[in-house]
Amino acid sequence: MTTSTVDRPRWPDRFRGLARSPRSLRPASAAQGLIWAVVVVLVVGPLVPLVYASLRNKPFYLPGGAFSLDGYSTLFADPAFWEAVRNTVLFALLTTVLAVAGGTAFAILCNRTNLPGRKVYAVLLLAPIVIPPLGLIVGWLALYGQSGYITVLVGDDLNLPVWNLSSIPGMAVLGAAVALPIAFLTCQAALSGTDSSLEDAARSAGATPPQVIRRVTLPMLRPAILNSAVLIFALSLEVLGLPLILGPPAHIDFYASYLYKTWTSGVLPDPPSVSAGAVLLLIVVSALLLVRMRLLGSEQRFVVTTTRGGGTYQPMDLRRWRWPASAAVGAFIAVTSLVPLLGLVLMSSVRALTRLQPPWELLTTDNWNHVATDVTLRRAISNSLIIAVVGGALAVLLVAAATLIAHRSGFFLRRTLAPTLIYPRAVPGIILGIGFFWSYLLVNPPGGSVRNNIWGELIALGVRNLTLAYIVIYPSLARINAEFDRAARAAGAGWWTIARRILLPILRPALLAAFVLMFVTLLNDYDPVVFLQKPGTEIIGVTMLQYFQRGVVGPVAALAVVQILIVAVVLSLGWRAITRIRHA
Amino acid sequence: MPEIRVEHLIKSFGDHRVLDDVTFTVKDKEFVTLLGPSGCGKTTTLMSIAGFVTPETGAIACGDETFLDRSAGVDRAAEDRNLGIVFQSYAVWPHMTVAANVGFPLKVRRLGRKAIRERVEEVLDLVEMGEYVDRYPYQLSGGQQQRVALARALAYSPGVLLLDEPFSNLDAKLRERARAWLKELQHNLGLTTVFVTHDQDEALSMSDRLLVMNDGRILGGGSPEEIYREPGERFVAEFVGRCSFLSGQVTTDAEGTCRLTTPEFPDGIVVRGHHPGPEATVAVRPEDIEIHEHADDFTAAEPIVLDVSYLGDRYQYRVAVGRAELVVQTTRRIATDGLRVRIPPGVATFVESDDNAPSTEIDETHES
Repeated sequence: MTTSTVDRPRWPDRFRGLARSPRSLRPASAAQGLIWAVVVVLVVGPLVPLVYASLRNKPFYLPGGAFSLDGYSTLFADPAFWEAVRNTVLFALLTTVLAVAGGTAFAILCNRTNLPGRKVYAVLLLAPIVIPPLGLIVGWLALYGQSGYITVLVGDDLNLPVWNLSSIPGMAVLGAAVALPIAFLTCQAALSGTDSSLEDAARSAGATPPQVIRRVTLPMLRPAILNSAVLIFALSLEVLGLPLILGPPAHIDFYASYLYKTWTSGVLPDPPSVSAGAVLLLIVVSALLLVRMRLLGSEQRFVVTTTRGGGTYQPMDLRRWRWPASAAVGAFIAVTSLVPLLGLVLMSSVRALTRLQPPWELLTTDNWNHVATDVTLRRAISNSLIIAVVGGALAVLLVAAATLIAHRSGFFLRRTLAPTLIYPRAVPGIILGIGFFWSYLLVNPPGGSVRNNIWGELIALGVRNLTLAYIVIYPSLARINAEFDRAARAAGAGWWTIARRILLPILRPALLAAFVLMFVTLLNDYDPVVFLQKPGTEIIGVTMLQYFQRGVVGPVAALAVVQILIVAVVLSLGWRAITRIRHA
Repeated sequence: MPEIRVEHLIKSFGDHRVLDDVTFTVKDKEFVTLLGPSGCGKTTTLMSIAGFVTPETGAIACGDETFLDRSAGVDRAAEDRNLGIVFQSYAVWPHMTVAANVGFPLKVRRLGRKAIRERVEEVLDLVEMGEYVDRYPYQLSGGQQQRVALARALAYSPGVLLLDEPFSNLDAKLRERARAWLKELQHNLGLTTVFVTHDQDEALSMSDRLLVMNDGRILGGGSPEEIYREPGERFVAEFVGRCSFLSGQVTTDAEGTCRLTTPEFPDGIVVRGHHPGPEATVAVRPEDIEIHEHADDFTAAEPIVLDVSYLGDRYQYRVAVGRAELVVQTTRRIATDGLRVRIPPGVATFVESDDNAPSTEIDETHES
C-alpha cells in the first residue's frame, strides 16, 4: 500500500462549495411528455377522423350526416372495387416473388461470390430508392410502353414478340425493380451479420458452390427473405403512380388508384366509401406489419449487424460464370434504372420520342422552357424544395428527440414511442393523406391554418416518413455507450443537458445522414398529398401526375429530370455523411 | 468528508436476486473494495450508490444526506448525488476535448469561464495530464483516458469517489503503476472511495478494507491481511489467493489447542482458532506448506507430484496426499520423488462453507 505523507488534504477550500446540487429541480419529464404527445398525435391522430368519416353517410361538411355503414356497403356493391382488389393482390404477389427472388440472388452474388464489380453493383442496385418514382415510371413508359422506343425497336424493326407494360405482369416487373432494394438490403444485412464460416464449413466438407447456396446460404437467409417478402407485399398494396400512369390503356385499376379516382371524379365529392376503403386497407396493412413483427421478434430488426471475424473470408468462385453473371447484373441495372433515366432525359429534350424520326431532328427546348415559365410548375419546384428542407429538418429534430426519449430516458411511456415511429411507413400514403384531409377539416383550429397551404402537406409528408429518420438514427444511438450518459448524470447533468451536450453532438453524422435521406424522400414522395394539394400548394410529384393525366408528357419528363438533378446534387453533397454512417 | 452507509439492499432481475440484503459502511476517507467474481452483484451495488440502479428495498446515505430510502420513498436522482465516478469504459466523451470533458461538471454547475479554466488546469495537473488539455480522446492512450475520466470525476471536488473496475482495460504493467498512483491520490485527497474489482491483487494492494461478495451477498470483510489470513468462509479463501482444503476430526487438548486429524495427516494438524463441532474444514495457503526432500522424515506425509508450474519467482506444485490435493509453493525447484509434506502448526485456519464441501480432492482425470 502506498502512503505518502504530503500535507493533506490538498483540496483547495474555495472549491468546497461546488459539491452541491447543480441545477434547479426542473423536471425533464414535462418536455419528454410534450414530445411524446406530439409524436403520438401526429401518427395516430389522422387515423381517428378517417375511421369516423368512414362511418358517416355524408362528408363532414354537408349538413345532416348520421352514423351508418353506407360507405362500406357502397364500396362492396361496386364491381370496380372488387376488380381493383383482384388486380392489386395479383400485382402484389407477382411483385413480391420477383423482387424477393432478384434481391436475394443479387445479395448472394454481391456478398458471397467473386462476381466482378460486386462493390459497385451493391451501390447501384439501391438506385431505385433515390430515383423519383414517377420519373422512373415515365421513363419506363417512354422506352418499354406499348409505343415506347425500345418496344417498337424490338417489335417492328426486329419482328420479335414484345411485352405489354400496361398489364399486371408488366407493372409487376416495374414494381419489382423498384421494390428490389428492400429485399437486397435485408438479405445483405443478414449475410454480413453472419460470417462465412458456415459456408466455408460446408465447402470443406466437399459441397460444390451451388450446393452450399442451396443447403446453407438460402436456409440461413430464410428469415430475411420472409421478412422482406411481407414488407414488399404490404407496400405493393398501396401503389398509386403505377396504375395511374400505366393502367389507362388497359383500364387496369389498383386499390389506391380506385380510391383516388372515386374521390376525385365521383358524383358526391369525398364520398364515405373512399374512407371506408382506406380503413380496410389500413387494417390489412397493419395486420401484415404485425405478422412481420412476429416474424422478427419485437425490436430486433433494427439491431446493428456487424461483421464478426470475417478476415479470412474467401468468396465463392463462380469460375466460368463470373463474367456472364456480372454482365447479367450490369444489364439488369442498365435496363431497370440507367436506360430509363437516359430515356427520360431524351424525352425532356425532344418534341416526341418516336422511331419514325431520329431524335436529333426533333430536339427542342420547349419542355424546359415550359418548366421555366409555367407558374404552376415553378411553384411546384419551390414548394417541394421548401417541404424537403424544412420538413426534413423538423422531422429529423422531432425523431431525434423522440428516439432519445424512447431509448435513453426514464420517461414512463417511452416504450410506446418506437412502435409509433415505425408505424407511419406502414400506413399507405393515400390513406394518411385522406386522414390528414379529414383531420384538418374536423380539428379546426388548428386544422384550418394548415389546410390551404403547404404546411399541411409538409406535415403529412413528414409524418409518413418519420420512420426513415428513425431507422437511421436509432442504430447509431444504440452504438453509443450508455456509460456516456451515466458519466454525464454523475457529473450533475439532467436529461436535457445530456441530450443537448452529449448525445446529439455524438449523433451528428447520423442526424446529417437522416436529413439527407429525408430530403430526398420528401422531394420524391407524393401520395399523401394527392388529396391535400390545392391551387397554390402544388408539389412536384402530384403536379407531374396531373399534367401526365392531361397528356402533357414532355414537361413532365423535364420536371422529373429537374427532380433527379436536385436529388443527385443533394446525395453527392451528403454522400460522405451517409457512407460514414454505414461504415461506422 | 462523508461516510457511506448502505443498508439491506435487495434487488432482483426477474427471478434472479442480484443483491441479497447487502449492508456495509464505508468510513470517512476509507478505501473500500467490493471484490467478487463477475455477476456477484458488486457493480450493481456500486450503481445503486451512484443512483443508476434502484434496489427494491434498502437505504443508502452519504454523510447526512439520504440518497435512497425505499421505506420512506426517497430516491434521489443520480445527477443530484454529487459523486465522482469512473466507469469501466472511462466514458470520456469522444466529441469533447480533454478540457471540455473535465470542465463539463463545472459547466452544468454554471461556473464562470475563468473559474472553469483554472479548475480544469488544476485537476489535470493533479492527474498529470496538464499538457493534454486540447487533445481529443481518440488521441489519448487507455491510461491517459483513464486519468481524464478521473479528473472529470474529481473536477467539482466530490467527497466520494466510485470506481468501477477502472484498471481492467489497461495492460498489466500500466495497471500496476496506475494502482499505486491512484491509491496515493486517494490518500492525499482524503476521498471516501468505493472500488469494484474482480482482481484480487488490485483489491489486496489498494484497499483499507475488503468486502468479498458472491451471489449478491457479502461473505466477509476486513483488512487485506485479515481477509487473507482469516478468510472465515471457504469461498473467500478460494477467491482471494490460492488455497488447499482439508476436512477431518477436530480435537481440542487441555491447553485449548485445536488439532485436525485426517486420513492423510493421522498425527493431526495444529489449527489456529477454535471450532465447536467435531468435524471441520481448514484452509492452508500454498506458501505455508512445507515440502522437502528428506524422505526419512516420518512425521510428514508422502506426496505424489501431479504437476509443476513455474511462476517466475517461485515454483508451484500440485501434489496428492492420499485422497487430498494440496497446492504447495517453493522458491527453488525440487526433485519430484522421495518428498515429504508437512503442515506447520498454526498455519491452517478453519473455514465455513454453505455446502460443507470436503477436502480438495483429486479429480479422477489427474490420477493416471
